[in-house]
Amino acid sequence: MKTITIKSIIDPSRTYKYIDDGSPKQGGVKDVYFAPNRKYVVAFFRTALDFNQRDRIKRIVTLYLDNIKNGSSGDYFLQEIYRWPYDAVEQDDKTGVIVPIYDSKFFFVKGYRANAMIKGGEKVGKWFTAPSFRNQQYPLALDKSELGDWLSYFQIAINICRGIKKMHQMGLAHSDLSYNNVLIDPVTKSANIIDLDGLVVPGLYPPEVIGTADFIAPEVLKTKHLKHNDPDRVLPNQKTDLHALAVLIYMYLLRRHPLRGGKIWDLDAEKDELMAMGEKALFVEHPTDRMNAVKTDQLRKWETFWGNPNKLSYTKTGPYLTHLFKRAFIDGLHAPMLRPIANEWETALLKTVDLIQPCSNPQCEEKWYVFDNSTKPICPFCGTAHKGSLPVIDLYFKFKDTVWKPEGHRLMVYHNQYLFKWHVSRKVIRNESLTTEDKKPVGYFTFHQNKWMLVNQNLQGMKDLTEQNDIPPNSMVELTNGKKILLSNEEGGRLLYITITNQ
Amino acid sequence: MRRLPVYLLLDTSGSMTGEPIEAVKNGVQMMMHSLRQNPQAIETAFVSIITFDSEAKQIVPLTDLASFQMVDIKASGVTSLGAALALLADKLETEVTMTTLEQKGDWKPLIFVMTDGIPTDNWQQGYSKLKAVNKGLIVGCAAGQGADDAILRQITNSVVRLDSADSESISKFFQWVTASISTTSTKVEESGKEVTGLDQLPPPPSELVIVA
Repeated sequence: MKTITIKSIIDPSRTYKYIDDGSPKQGGVKDVYFAPNRKYVVAFFRTALDFNQRDRIKRIVTLYLDNIKNGSSGDYFLQEIYRWPYDAVEQDDKTGVIVPIYDSKFFFVKGYRANAMIKGGEKVGKWFTAPSFRNQQYPLALDKSELGDWLSYFQIAINICRGIKKMHQMGLAHSDLSYNNVLIDPVTKSANIIDLDGLVVPGLYPPEVIGTADFIAPEVLKTKHLKHNDPDRVLPNQKTDLHALAVLIYMYLLRRHPLRGGKIWDLDAEKDELMAMGEKALFVEHPTDRMNAVKTDQLRKWETFWGNPNKLSYTKTGPYLTHLFKRAFIDGLHAPMLRPIANEWETALLKTVDLIQPCSNPQCEEKWYVFDNSTKPICPFCGTAHKGSLPVIDLYFKFKDTVWKPEGHRLMVYHNQYLFKWHVSRKVIRNESLTTEDKKPVGYFTFHQNKWMLVNQNLQGMKDLTEQNDIPPNSMVELTNGKKILLSNEEGGRLLYITITNQ
Repeated sequence: MRRLPVYLLLDTSGSMTGEPIEAVKNGVQMMMHSLRQNPQAIETAFVSIITFDSEAKQIVPLTDLASFQMVDIKASGVTSLGAALALLADKLETEVTMTTLEQKGDWKPLIFVMTDGIPTDNWQQGYSKLKAVNKGLIVGCAAGQGADDAILRQITNSVVRLDSADSESISKFFQWVTASISTTSTKVEESGKEVTGLDQLPPPPSELVIVA
C-alpha cells in the first residue's frame, strides 16, 4: 500500500494523490484508485490511448467542463446530474482521469432483503429495471427500503433527460447511454450519469463502442456489418442517444424492454438478437402490428406482472408520455429524425408528475399512479379504486383580453398537494434553472371539513372569478365543480378551471 | 429471456480427499456469493453441477443463481470422466432450451471440466456422445501433477492447468470461473454476442497455465 502523487497534464501545478494497494477497482476499461481524502478517484485506462483519445479526454476536462461550469445551473449539472471528469493525468503511458467520488446515496444501505451481500454496492440502474429484484417472493429481492415508489422513477428519468439535453446542447453525444452508466437512488430520487470519458464529439472523434445491447438504436445494428468509413454505416450519435433515452425511461417506469417480445426472427440466437434489436425491431405494444407481442405464458414467474403489457400497458404512464413512447417506438423507431428530443421527454415527465395521484391503499408498493381521465380511477399496480371526490384542475392562459385558452396542462389535486409558481405564470418554466425562491410553494390544496380548499400562501391578485371574490394571501377558497380561479393578474398569469370527479 | 447455461463438471474421486475437495466446495460457495452481486449474471446465468467419481451424478440441476443451493460432496472412488461427459450430453439435451419458431432458446452453454487425475473409464465413448449434442464452449482444467491435460486437450481446445491441486490454486481457479461467467453473462446481455473461445474470457490468474 503506497500513496502516489501525480501531476495534471493540463496544468502541472495541480497535483493529485491516490492510494495503490495493488488491487484497484476494475471497471470495463479503467482501473480505479481512491484519493486518500476520498474526495475523488483517479481512473486509469488499462490500455494506452492514442492521440485522438487523449485529445478527447483533454477537451472533456477543459473545454466541455468549462462550458458546463459557465453555463446556466452549472453547479446543478456538476453535482446533481453528472460525475464529470475534471482533470487528466498520465503515468507510465497510461492516461487517467480525475473524477469526483460518487455520493454515498448511490451505494446500497441495505441491499438484498435477506442478507447483507450487496450492502455498500453501487446502485447501477440494472437493479431497478429488472422486475425480479422487486418481487418480494424472489430469493434475491431488494429490500423495500431501497426501491422507492413510482414517483421516484419520474424524478430519476427527469435527471437523466436533463443530462442528455445539456450534452446535446453542447454538441456532444453520449454514445453508450444504458442502465450501466447511470447510478440511481430511488430513495432520494436522484440519478447521476457516470463514465463520461467516452463522449462522442460529432465529426471530431468517432465513437469507439456501438453501445450496450438493450439500448443500441436499430440503425446502428442494421449497419454494423459495414466498414467504419462506409457512408451508409451509422455510428452512435445524438439521434441514437434519443433511442437509448426512450428505452431507459420505458424500462424505469415499466420494468421491461420495449422491443423484447415473442417474435423469433432466426433460430440462431446471435442472428435473432441482431434482427430483433436491429432491422426488424418492433414495439412489443404496437397497437396494430401484434407480431412481436409478449408471449405471456413464456414469462418467468418473477416477471408476470411487470413483464405483461396486458396487465400494465405503457398507456398507464399517462397521455403525454404515451404520445412520446409512440413517437419513439412506432413512428421514430426506424426514422431517427422523428424521435422525441430530451427536452420533450423532460417536459412530458414534469407534466405527468402533475397528473399523478396517491393510491388510497397504504400498502400499495408503487404508492402513486397517473390519473387516467376516468370518473372512477383505479390504481393499476394494486387494483385499489380511488376513494372520495377528486378535483382536477385545467390550466388556461390569457390569449386575448377576454379569451382564455387551455394550456394542455392538468393538475391533479390531493390532500397537501402544492401549487407552485410554474403553475401560476407562463413566465416561470419548470426546469433546472429555477431559483430557490421559485421552488417554494405559493399555495396548497387541502381536504378540510369535507371540502376541497385551495389555500393562498403568498399570491397577489388571486381571484375567484365565479364568485367575484378576491382571495388575498393567507385565505382560502373552496374548489367546486366548474369554478374559475385567476391566480395572478400579471402578464402571463394563469386561470384554474375546476372539475370534480368521482363524486 | 435467453439464459446462459453453465455446467461445472467436478472430479470427486478419492485423490481429491482432504484439502482439494474442501477447496472445491468453498470455491463453489465463493463463486455463488460473488455472482449474486452482479445483476446481469443473476438475470442470465443458470448453473448446474455434475460430479464424477466411480459414477457421474448431477448433484445440482440447471438452476438460477437466486435458487441455487449447493449440496455436500465427498471424495471417493475412481475417475469416471466418460460417464460425466455422457451425463452432460443428456442434460444438455433435456435442460438447455433450443430456439424454435415459437420460443427463444438459451445462449450456448459454458462448460468447465475440472479433474485431478486420469479417466478410469472409456472417456472417448462419453465424449463422442457429448460431441454430437454440444454447441457450447468447454474449458478443461487439469488440476495438479496427476492430471493428464493431453486427454483434456482432445476434448477441447481450451485447457488450463493448475500446477498443484492445493486450496489456494483451486480457489484461484474458481475466481477465474466466476469472472468468466460474469463476463459472458454481461457480454451476452450487452452485445448479444456469445463466447466461443478462451481468448474471450478474462485472463486467468498466474496459477493457471493455458496449455492449449
